[in-house]
Amino acid sequence: MNEFEEQLKQALSRREPPSDFAERVLAIARNQSRPAAAARLRLWFHRTRAWRLVPVLAALLMMTGGTVYEQHRRAARGEAVKEQLLVAMHIAGSSLHRAQHRIFDVETGEVTQ
Amino acid sequence: MVATVASGAVPAERDAALPAFAEAVEAHKAMVYSILWHFLRDRSLAEELAQDVFLELHRNWASMKSSQHILFWLRRVTSNRAIDCVRKRKARPETSLEETGEPTVLERVHDAFLSAYLERMVASLPEKQRIAIVLRYQEGMELEEIAEVLGIKAATVKTQVFRGLDLLRAKTARRLETHRHQP
Repeated sequence: MNEFEEQLKQALSRREPPSDFAERVLAIARNQSRPAAAARLRLWFHRTRAWRLVPVLAALLMMTGGTVYEQHRRAARGEAVKEQLLVAMHIAGSSLHRAQHRIFDVETGEVTQ
Repeated sequence: MVATVASGAVPAERDAALPAFAEAVEAHKAMVYSILWHFLRDRSLAEELAQDVFLELHRNWASMKSSQHILFWLRRVTSNRAIDCVRKRKARPETSLEETGEPTVLERVHDAFLSAYLERMVASLPEKQRIAIVLRYQEGMELEEIAEVLGIKAATVKTQVFRGLDLLRAKTARRLETHRHQP
């Protein structure tokens, strides 16, 4: 290294940043370390080994789902039967009404004759 | 691994690495700040970018393999940040070495001011020459090391350093000449 380069090296010697620089960086870094809600949940999930409950929860979910579906299916079938019964009653009611009319007509016709 | 942090650590686990990170900040703050200061000649900007560099290091702490890796990483990221910053500030025209004025009267008074003068001249070099000169003379890095940090060929670094030195020598010679002719 020649004299000029030595001068350059001296000119480009390191400088210290402001005295509170490291403190400020660490304060921000500490804030960065605070986990977000999702990360906190993930962390809890791993720490408490909650993942072990996943199969049990899945089975419970399936059973509950099955029960709810069965109830829904029964209710739908009941509704259909009710609907059929109402239609049958309506038909029966109409037929009865027509028969009554016929009887009435016949009876009044006979009286007229 | 530098600290007891597992790879892919979540933020809370990074907390455990804070003491080691604090040591790294303390050990390298002058290096990072000085590269940025010599490159940008703007105290607050150098401070702001140095802070960003260390916070990025903190985010990537889990991938740091050794203290040498940290040093290499910091030099590379700092150099890239400095160059990016200058490129983004292109709206503010860069002063060329030739356009840079002669030293002030005060600077001519004594050779002790030569350092301040050289610092100012380095900051006016073209970006690539400037970063190569800063890494070579501030950090005392070999040409191959600079090439690795900047991701370019060693021969290119050599050219940049030589061109930078030539420009600085020419400008300094002119300054000394002017100084000699002063009464």
